[in-house]
Amino acid sequence: MDGMEWMGSAMRAARGALDVATQNLANASSDGYRKAQAAITLSARGLAVSTHATHEQGAVRRTGRAFDLALLGDGAFRVGDATTRSGAFVRDRDGRLVDDRGRALRGTCGVLHVSERATIAADGTVRDGGRAVDRLALPAGTHVLSGALETSTVNPIGETLAILTAQRAFETAQKTMLAIDATREKSANDVVRVQ
Amino acid sequence: MNRAMYAAASGMAAQQTQLEIVADNLANAEVAGFKGAAATFADVRAGEIGLGTTTLGRHALFAQGKLVKSSGPFDVAIDGPGFFVVERDGHRAYTRNGEFAREPDGSLRNSAGWRLDGVRIPGDALAVRVERDGRVAIDTAHDRDRTIARLRLATFPAPEAMRPAGATLFVPTDASGRARLVEPGAHGAPSIAFGMLERSNVSIVESVMQILSAQRAYEANAKGVQAADEMLRIANNLHRG
Repeated sequence: MDGMEWMGSAMRAARGALDVATQNLANASSDGYRKAQAAITLSARGLAVSTHATHEQGAVRRTGRAFDLALLGDGAFRVGDATTRSGAFVRDRDGRLVDDRGRALRGTCGVLHVSERATIAADGTVRDGGRAVDRLALPAGTHVLSGALETSTVNPIGETLAILTAQRAFETAQKTMLAIDATREKSANDVVRVQ
Repeated sequence: MNRAMYAAASGMAAQQTQLEIVADNLANAEVAGFKGAAATFADVRAGEIGLGTTTLGRHALFAQGKLVKSSGPFDVAIDGPGFFVVERDGHRAYTRNGEFAREPDGSLRNSAGWRLDGVRIPGDALAVRVERDGRVAIDTAHDRDRTIARLRLATFPAPEAMRPAGATLFVPTDASGRARLVEPGAHGAPSIAFGMLERSNVSIVESVMQILSAQRAYEANAKGVQAADEMLRIANNLHRG
Protein backbone atom coordinates (compact mmCIF):
# COMPACT_ATOMS: atom_id res chain seq x y z
CA MET A 1 0.00 0.00 0.00
CA ASP A 2 1.24 3.44 -0.77
CA GLY A 3 0.65 6.63 1.17
CA MET A 4 -2.37 7.62 -0.87
CA GLU A 5 -4.12 4.32 -0.11
CA TRP A 6 -3.22 4.61 3.58
CA MET A 7 -4.74 8.05 3.77
CA GLY A 8 -7.80 6.86 1.85
CA SER A 9 -8.34 4.13 4.41
CA ALA A 10 -7.84 6.66 7.23
CA MET A 11 -10.54 8.87 5.72
CA ARG A 12 -12.91 5.92 5.38
CA ALA A 13 -12.21 4.96 9.00
CA ALA A 14 -12.92 8.51 10.19
CA ARG A 15 -16.19 8.41 8.29
CA GLY A 16 -17.05 5.08 9.94
CA ALA A 17 -16.30 6.53 13.37
CA LEU A 18 -18.60 9.47 12.58
CA ASP A 19 -21.37 7.05 11.57
CA VAL A 20 -21.11 5.29 14.95
CA ALA A 21 -21.01 8.56 16.94
CA THR A 22 -24.04 10.06 15.18
CA GLN A 23 -25.98 6.81 15.55
CA ASN A 24 -25.26 6.91 19.28
CA LEU A 25 -26.16 10.58 19.59
CA ALA A 26 -29.42 10.10 17.69
CA ASN A 27 -30.38 7.52 20.30
CA ALA A 28 -29.59 9.61 23.37
CA SER A 29 -33.30 9.42 24.29
CA SER A 30 -34.03 5.83 23.25
CA ASP A 31 -34.78 3.92 26.43
CA GLY A 32 -32.86 0.69 26.76
CA TYR A 33 -30.40 1.65 24.00
CA ARG A 34 -26.81 0.64 24.63
CA LYS A 35 -24.20 2.67 22.86
CA ALA A 36 -22.02 1.08 20.19
CA GLN A 37 -18.29 1.40 20.69
CA ALA A 38 -16.15 2.12 17.63
CA ALA A 39 -12.58 0.84 17.52
CA ILE A 40 -10.15 1.72 14.76
CA THR A 41 -7.87 -1.19 13.98
CA LEU A 42 -4.71 -1.32 11.94
CA SER A 43 -4.19 -4.06 9.39
CA ALA A 44 -2.07 -4.67 6.32
CA ARG A 45 -4.93 -3.25 4.24
CA GLY A 46 -5.09 0.02 6.13
CA LEU A 47 -7.24 1.36 8.90
CA ALA A 48 -10.69 -0.07 9.53
CA VAL A 49 -13.51 0.65 11.96
CA SER A 50 -15.08 -2.16 13.91
CA THR A 51 -18.01 -1.67 16.25
CA HIS A 52 -19.01 -3.70 19.22
CA ALA A 53 -21.90 -3.54 21.63
CA THR A 54 -21.32 -2.31 25.17
CA HIS A 55 -22.89 -3.78 28.30
CA GLU A 56 -22.78 -0.83 30.62
CA GLN A 57 -25.84 -0.43 32.88
CA GLY A 58 -28.01 2.55 31.97
CA ALA A 59 -29.36 4.98 34.54
CA VAL A 60 -32.87 4.20 35.75
CA ARG A 61 -35.70 6.69 35.36
CA ARG A 62 -38.90 6.40 37.41
CA THR A 63 -42.10 6.58 35.37
CA GLY A 64 -44.73 5.26 37.78
CA ARG A 65 -46.39 3.05 35.17
CA ALA A 66 -46.69 -0.48 36.53
CA PHE A 67 -45.62 -2.20 33.31
CA ASP A 68 -42.55 -0.08 32.63
CA LEU A 69 -39.75 -2.46 33.49
CA ALA A 70 -36.05 -1.75 33.92
CA LEU A 71 -33.42 -4.47 34.06
CA LEU A 72 -30.61 -4.13 36.57
CA GLY A 73 -27.85 -6.43 35.40
CA ASP A 74 -27.37 -8.54 32.28
CA GLY A 75 -30.08 -10.17 30.24
CA ALA A 76 -32.95 -8.85 28.16
CA PHE A 77 -36.71 -9.10 27.79
CA ARG A 78 -37.98 -11.68 25.36
CA VAL A 79 -40.46 -10.06 22.99
CA GLY A 80 -41.81 -12.04 20.05
CA ASP A 81 -38.76 -13.68 18.46
CA ALA A 82 -36.38 -10.97 19.59
CA THR A 83 -34.87 -9.62 22.77
CA THR A 84 -34.74 -6.04 23.96
CA ARG A 85 -33.57 -3.98 26.93
CA SER A 86 -36.32 -1.45 26.36
CA GLY A 87 -39.01 -2.27 28.91
CA ALA A 88 -41.83 0.17 28.09
CA PHE A 89 -44.77 -2.21 27.99
CA VAL A 90 -48.46 -1.42 28.01
CA ARG A 91 -51.24 -3.88 28.59
CA ASP A 92 -53.37 -4.39 25.47
CA ARG A 93 -57.07 -5.32 25.44
CA ASP A 94 -56.26 -9.04 25.51
CA GLY A 95 -54.07 -8.66 28.58
CA ARG A 96 -50.77 -9.11 26.77
CA LEU A 97 -47.91 -6.75 27.63
CA VAL A 98 -46.82 -5.24 24.33
CA ASP A 99 -44.07 -2.77 23.48
CA ASP A 100 -44.43 0.05 20.98
CA ARG A 101 -43.42 -2.20 18.10
CA GLY A 102 -46.40 -4.40 18.99
CA ARG A 103 -44.29 -7.30 20.24
CA ALA A 104 -45.64 -9.20 23.22
CA LEU A 105 -43.53 -9.89 26.31
CA ARG A 106 -42.83 -13.58 26.92
CA GLY A 107 -42.29 -15.34 30.19
CA THR A 108 -40.80 -18.82 30.57
CA CYS A 109 -44.19 -20.37 29.63
CA GLY A 110 -44.84 -18.24 26.56
CA VAL A 111 -46.62 -14.94 25.98
CA LEU A 112 -47.80 -13.34 29.24
CA HIS A 113 -51.51 -12.67 29.80
CA VAL A 114 -52.21 -10.58 32.86
CA SER A 115 -54.86 -8.36 34.47
CA GLU A 116 -54.45 -4.65 35.28
CA ARG A 117 -53.46 -5.52 38.82
CA ALA A 118 -50.61 -7.87 37.95
CA THR A 119 -47.22 -7.11 39.46
CA ILE A 120 -43.73 -8.09 38.43
CA ALA A 121 -41.39 -8.76 41.33
CA ALA A 122 -37.66 -8.00 41.43
CA ASP A 123 -36.77 -11.60 40.63
CA GLY A 124 -38.99 -11.57 37.53
CA THR A 125 -41.93 -13.45 39.04
CA VAL A 126 -45.22 -12.29 37.52
CA ARG A 127 -48.02 -12.28 40.10
CA ASP A 128 -51.64 -11.82 39.21
CA GLY A 129 -54.34 -11.79 41.88
CA GLY A 130 -51.86 -12.94 44.52
CA ARG A 131 -50.82 -16.00 42.51
CA ALA A 132 -47.53 -16.47 40.65
CA VAL A 133 -48.51 -17.05 37.02
CA ASP A 134 -45.18 -16.99 35.21
CA ARG A 135 -41.69 -15.57 35.40
CA LEU A 136 -39.36 -13.69 33.12
CA ALA A 137 -36.33 -15.66 32.00
CA LEU A 138 -33.42 -13.69 33.45
CA PRO A 139 -29.83 -14.61 34.23
CA ALA A 140 -28.88 -15.06 37.89
CA GLY A 141 -28.20 -11.79 39.67
CA THR A 142 -30.40 -9.68 37.38
CA HIS A 143 -33.26 -7.77 38.96
CA VAL A 144 -36.36 -6.22 37.47
CA LEU A 145 -37.51 -2.81 38.63
CA SER A 146 -41.16 -2.16 37.92
CA GLY A 147 -42.39 1.41 37.33
CA ALA A 148 -39.08 2.53 35.85
CA LEU A 149 -37.18 2.48 32.58
CA GLU A 150 -33.50 2.03 31.82
CA THR A 151 -32.31 5.10 29.93
CA SER A 152 -29.91 5.14 27.02
CA THR A 153 -26.23 4.70 27.94
CA VAL A 154 -25.17 7.31 25.38
CA ASN A 155 -23.04 10.09 26.83
CA PRO A 156 -23.57 13.15 24.60
CA ILE A 157 -20.27 14.76 25.65
CA GLY A 158 -18.29 11.66 24.74
CA GLU A 159 -20.04 11.39 21.38
CA THR A 160 -19.52 15.08 20.57
CA LEU A 161 -15.83 14.53 21.30
CA ALA A 162 -15.84 11.47 19.03
CA ILE A 163 -17.40 13.57 16.26
CA LEU A 164 -14.72 16.26 16.61
CA THR A 165 -11.96 13.64 16.66
CA ALA A 166 -13.34 11.96 13.54
CA GLN A 167 -13.63 15.29 11.77
CA ARG A 168 -10.05 16.30 12.58
CA ALA A 169 -8.68 12.86 11.69
CA PHE A 170 -10.46 13.16 8.36
CA GLU A 171 -9.01 16.62 7.82
CA THR A 172 -5.49 15.48 8.72
CA ALA A 173 -5.72 12.56 6.31
CA GLN A 174 -6.94 14.88 3.57
CA LYS A 175 -4.06 17.33 4.19
CA THR A 176 -1.58 14.48 4.11
CA MET A 177 -3.11 13.23 0.89
CA LEU A 178 -2.74 16.69 -0.64
CA ALA A 179 0.89 16.80 0.51
CA ILE A 180 1.61 13.43 -1.09
CA ASP A 181 -0.14 14.65 -4.23
CA ALA A 182 1.99 17.81 -4.25
CA THR A 183 5.18 15.75 -3.92
CA ARG A 184 4.13 13.51 -6.77
CA GLU A 185 3.23 16.48 -8.85
CA LYS A 186 6.73 17.79 -8.32
CA SER A 187 8.37 14.53 -9.26
CA ALA A 188 6.15 14.14 -12.28
CA ASN A 189 6.42 17.64 -13.62
CA ASP A 190 9.54 19.35 -12.21
CA VAL A 191 12.22 16.68 -11.61
CA VAL A 192 12.19 15.42 -15.16
CA ARG A 193 12.01 18.87 -16.66
CA VAL A 194 15.20 19.46 -18.58
CA GLN A 195 16.25 23.03 -18.63
CA MET B 1 -21.12 10.68 5.46
CA ASN B 2 -24.69 10.81 4.33
CA ARG B 3 -25.53 8.03 6.75
CA ALA B 4 -24.06 10.05 9.60
CA MET B 5 -25.91 13.13 8.44
CA TYR B 6 -29.27 11.36 8.27
CA ALA B 7 -28.71 9.59 11.59
CA ALA B 8 -27.95 12.92 13.28
CA ALA B 9 -30.93 14.56 11.56
CA SER B 10 -33.21 11.77 12.85
CA GLY B 11 -31.87 12.51 16.32
CA MET B 12 -32.76 16.18 15.90
CA ALA B 13 -36.27 15.23 14.76
CA ALA B 14 -36.69 12.96 17.79
CA GLN B 15 -35.64 15.70 20.20
CA GLN B 16 -38.05 18.08 18.50
CA THR B 17 -40.89 15.58 18.99
CA GLN B 18 -39.85 15.26 22.62
CA LEU B 19 -39.93 19.06 23.02
CA GLU B 20 -43.38 19.31 21.42
CA ILE B 21 -44.76 16.72 23.83
CA VAL B 22 -43.18 18.34 26.89
CA ALA B 23 -44.47 21.77 25.76
CA ASP B 24 -47.98 20.32 25.41
CA ASN B 25 -47.71 18.75 28.88
CA LEU B 26 -46.52 22.02 30.41
CA ALA B 27 -49.21 24.06 28.67
CA ASN B 28 -51.84 21.83 30.30
CA ALA B 29 -50.15 21.47 33.68
CA GLU B 30 -52.91 23.49 35.35
CA VAL B 31 -55.83 21.80 33.57
CA ALA B 32 -57.84 19.55 35.88
CA GLY B 33 -57.88 15.91 34.81
CA PHE B 34 -55.17 16.39 32.19
CA LYS B 35 -52.90 13.41 31.60
CA GLY B 36 -49.34 14.06 30.50
CA ALA B 37 -48.00 12.18 27.48
CA ALA B 38 -44.65 10.61 26.73
CA ALA B 39 -43.03 9.40 23.54
CA THR B 40 -40.88 6.33 23.07
CA PHE B 41 -37.86 6.38 20.81
CA ALA B 42 -35.92 3.43 19.47
CA ASP B 43 -32.91 2.87 17.28
CA VAL B 44 -33.31 2.01 13.61
CA ARG B 45 -30.86 -0.43 12.13
CA ALA B 46 -30.40 -2.55 9.06
CA GLY B 47 -28.43 -5.50 10.41
CA GLU B 48 -25.23 -4.06 11.87
CA ILE B 49 -25.67 -0.67 10.27
CA GLY B 50 -27.23 2.03 12.42
CA LEU B 51 -29.62 4.40 10.67
CA GLY B 52 -30.55 6.74 13.49
CA THR B 53 -33.65 6.80 15.63
CA THR B 54 -37.40 6.84 15.23
CA THR B 55 -40.42 7.78 17.32
CA LEU B 56 -42.30 4.57 18.06
CA GLY B 57 -45.32 5.91 19.82
CA ARG B 58 -46.89 8.48 22.03
CA HIS B 59 -49.03 7.58 25.03
CA ALA B 60 -50.94 9.39 27.67
CA LEU B 61 -49.69 8.42 31.12
CA PHE B 62 -52.69 7.61 33.27
CA ALA B 63 -50.98 7.97 36.64
CA GLN B 64 -53.31 9.41 39.27
CA GLY B 65 -53.14 13.18 39.74
CA LYS B 66 -53.42 14.73 43.19
CA LEU B 67 -56.97 15.46 44.37
CA VAL B 68 -57.41 19.02 45.55
CA LYS B 69 -60.33 20.82 47.15
CA SER B 70 -62.13 23.03 44.69
CA SER B 71 -64.66 25.81 44.81
CA GLY B 72 -67.05 24.67 42.09
CA PRO B 73 -70.38 23.42 43.45
CA PHE B 74 -70.51 20.45 41.04
CA ASP B 75 -66.84 19.47 40.92
CA VAL B 76 -66.10 15.78 41.10
CA ALA B 77 -62.90 13.77 40.87
CA ILE B 78 -62.08 10.11 40.42
CA ASP B 79 -59.89 8.39 42.96
CA GLY B 80 -58.54 5.38 41.08
CA PRO B 81 -58.71 4.33 37.44
CA GLY B 82 -61.71 5.02 35.19
CA PHE B 83 -63.38 7.88 33.35
CA PHE B 84 -66.52 9.98 33.47
CA VAL B 85 -68.82 9.32 30.52
CA VAL B 86 -69.71 12.53 28.69
CA GLU B 87 -71.65 13.17 25.52
CA ARG B 88 -72.27 15.97 23.07
CA ASP B 89 -74.33 15.91 19.84
CA GLY B 90 -74.79 12.15 20.15
CA HIS B 91 -71.04 11.48 20.47
CA ARG B 92 -69.60 9.83 23.50
CA ALA B 93 -66.25 10.56 25.05
CA TYR B 94 -64.46 9.81 28.28
CA THR B 95 -62.70 12.23 30.58
CA ARG B 96 -61.21 12.54 34.03
CA ASN B 97 -61.89 16.25 34.17
CA GLY B 98 -64.77 16.65 36.65
CA GLU B 99 -65.21 20.40 36.35
CA PHE B 100 -68.95 20.59 35.60
CA ALA B 101 -71.41 23.45 35.75
CA ARG B 102 -75.19 23.30 36.02
CA GLU B 103 -77.05 24.38 32.91
CA PRO B 104 -80.60 25.82 32.81
CA ASP B 105 -81.96 22.48 31.51
CA GLY B 106 -80.60 20.71 34.62
CA SER B 107 -77.73 18.94 32.88
CA LEU B 108 -74.15 19.15 34.09
CA ARG B 109 -71.77 20.23 31.36
CA ASN B 110 -68.07 21.02 31.22
CA SER B 111 -66.70 24.19 29.65
CA ALA B 112 -66.63 22.62 26.17
CA GLY B 113 -70.31 21.72 26.42
CA TRP B 114 -69.90 17.99 27.07
CA ARG B 115 -72.73 16.70 29.23
CA LEU B 116 -72.16 14.29 32.11
CA ASP B 117 -74.08 11.20 31.12
CA GLY B 118 -77.11 10.15 33.18
CA VAL B 119 -77.48 13.17 35.47
CA ARG B 120 -80.24 15.77 35.37
CA ILE B 121 -80.68 18.06 38.35
CA PRO B 122 -84.36 18.94 39.01
CA GLY B 123 -85.22 22.61 39.08
CA ASP B 124 -86.24 22.58 42.74
CA ALA B 125 -82.89 21.29 44.00
CA LEU B 126 -81.36 23.52 46.65
CA ALA B 127 -78.21 21.52 47.27
CA VAL B 128 -76.54 18.75 45.29
CA ARG B 129 -73.91 16.31 46.44
CA VAL B 130 -72.29 13.18 45.09
CA GLU B 131 -71.37 10.31 47.38
CA ARG B 132 -68.25 8.13 47.16
CA ASP B 133 -70.30 5.41 45.48
CA GLY B 134 -71.59 7.75 42.77
CA ARG B 135 -75.04 8.36 44.28
CA VAL B 136 -76.22 11.85 43.36
CA ALA B 137 -78.45 13.26 46.11
CA ILE B 138 -80.31 16.55 46.36
CA ASP B 139 -82.05 18.53 49.07
CA THR B 140 -85.24 20.34 48.16
CA ALA B 141 -87.65 22.50 50.14
CA HIS B 142 -89.73 19.38 50.86
CA ASP B 143 -87.34 16.52 51.35
CA ARG B 144 -83.72 15.89 52.07
CA ASP B 145 -81.22 13.48 50.61
CA ARG B 146 -83.31 12.37 47.65
CA THR B 147 -81.36 10.12 45.23
CA ILE B 148 -81.81 11.35 41.67
CA ALA B 149 -79.10 9.50 39.79
CA ARG B 150 -76.15 7.19 40.11
CA LEU B 151 -72.88 8.04 38.41
CA ARG B 152 -71.10 5.21 36.76
CA LEU B 153 -67.52 5.22 35.61
CA ALA B 154 -66.08 3.65 32.46
CA THR B 155 -62.96 1.52 32.51
CA PHE B 156 -61.09 0.13 29.52
CA PRO B 157 -58.99 -2.99 29.04
CA ALA B 158 -56.13 -0.91 27.56
CA PRO B 159 -56.62 2.80 28.35
CA GLU B 160 -53.15 3.68 26.96
CA ALA B 161 -54.43 2.83 23.48
CA MET B 162 -57.25 5.39 23.64
CA ARG B 163 -57.12 8.33 21.26
CA PRO B 164 -56.90 11.81 22.78
CA ALA B 165 -59.67 14.12 21.48
CA GLY B 166 -58.97 17.52 22.94
CA ALA B 167 -57.14 18.35 26.13
CA THR B 168 -58.81 16.01 28.60
CA LEU B 169 -61.13 13.93 26.41
CA PHE B 170 -60.41 10.43 25.19
CA VAL B 171 -62.22 8.18 22.77
CA PRO B 172 -61.80 4.41 22.61
CA THR B 173 -60.11 2.66 19.69
CA ASP B 174 -60.05 -0.94 18.51
CA ALA B 175 -56.87 -1.47 20.47
CA SER B 176 -58.19 -0.04 23.72
CA GLY B 177 -61.24 -2.29 23.80
CA ARG B 178 -64.80 -1.31 24.73
CA ALA B 179 -65.87 0.64 27.77
CA ARG B 180 -66.96 -1.35 30.79
CA LEU B 181 -69.15 0.53 33.27
CA VAL B 182 -68.33 0.05 36.92
CA GLU B 183 -70.11 1.09 40.08
CA PRO B 184 -67.79 3.35 42.03
CA GLY B 185 -67.02 2.83 45.67
CA ALA B 186 -67.07 -0.97 45.67
CA HIS B 187 -64.06 -2.90 46.91
CA GLY B 188 -61.18 -2.48 44.47
CA ALA B 189 -63.18 -0.10 42.27
CA PRO B 190 -62.48 3.63 41.88
CA SER B 191 -64.44 6.03 44.07
CA ILE B 192 -65.80 9.52 43.54
CA ALA B 193 -64.59 12.54 45.50
CA PHE B 194 -67.14 15.36 45.58
CA GLY B 195 -65.98 18.96 45.88
CA MET B 196 -62.55 17.94 44.62
CA LEU B 197 -60.74 18.13 41.30
CA GLU B 198 -57.93 15.96 40.03
CA ARG B 199 -54.88 18.02 39.19
CA SER B 200 -52.97 17.19 36.04
CA ASN B 201 -50.27 14.57 36.61
CA VAL B 202 -47.62 16.69 34.88
CA SER B 203 -44.58 17.36 37.03
CA ILE B 204 -43.22 20.81 36.23
CA VAL B 205 -39.75 20.06 37.58
CA GLU B 206 -39.50 16.90 35.53
CA SER B 207 -40.77 18.69 32.41
CA VAL B 208 -38.17 21.42 32.77
CA MET B 209 -35.45 18.81 33.10
CA GLN B 210 -36.77 17.09 29.98
CA ILE B 211 -36.65 20.39 28.09
CA LEU B 212 -33.04 21.02 29.12
CA SER B 213 -31.85 17.57 28.14
CA ALA B 214 -33.80 17.64 24.84
CA GLN B 215 -32.24 21.00 24.00
CA ARG B 216 -28.70 19.78 24.69
CA ALA B 217 -29.26 16.54 22.80
CA TYR B 218 -30.64 18.56 19.86
CA GLU B 219 -27.49 20.72 19.84
CA ALA B 220 -25.23 17.68 19.98
CA ASN B 221 -27.07 16.10 17.04
CA ALA B 222 -26.79 19.37 15.13
CA LYS B 223 -23.01 19.14 15.68
CA GLY B 224 -23.19 15.70 14.07
CA VAL B 225 -24.88 17.13 10.98
CA GLN B 226 -22.31 19.94 10.85
CA ALA B 227 -19.40 17.53 11.15
CA ALA B 228 -20.75 15.35 8.34
CA ASP B 229 -21.18 18.44 6.19
CA GLU B 230 -17.69 19.70 7.02
CA MET B 231 -16.17 16.33 6.11
CA LEU B 232 -17.94 16.44 2.76
CA ARG B 233 -16.46 19.88 2.19
CA ILE B 234 -12.98 18.61 3.07
CA ALA B 235 -13.41 15.68 0.70
CA ASN B 236 -14.43 18.08 -2.05
CA ASN B 237 -11.21 20.03 -1.52
CA LEU B 238 -9.15 16.95 -2.36
CA HIS B 239 -9.21 17.92 -5.98
CA ARG B 240 -7.25 21.10 -6.45
CA GLY B 241 -8.13 22.73 -9.68
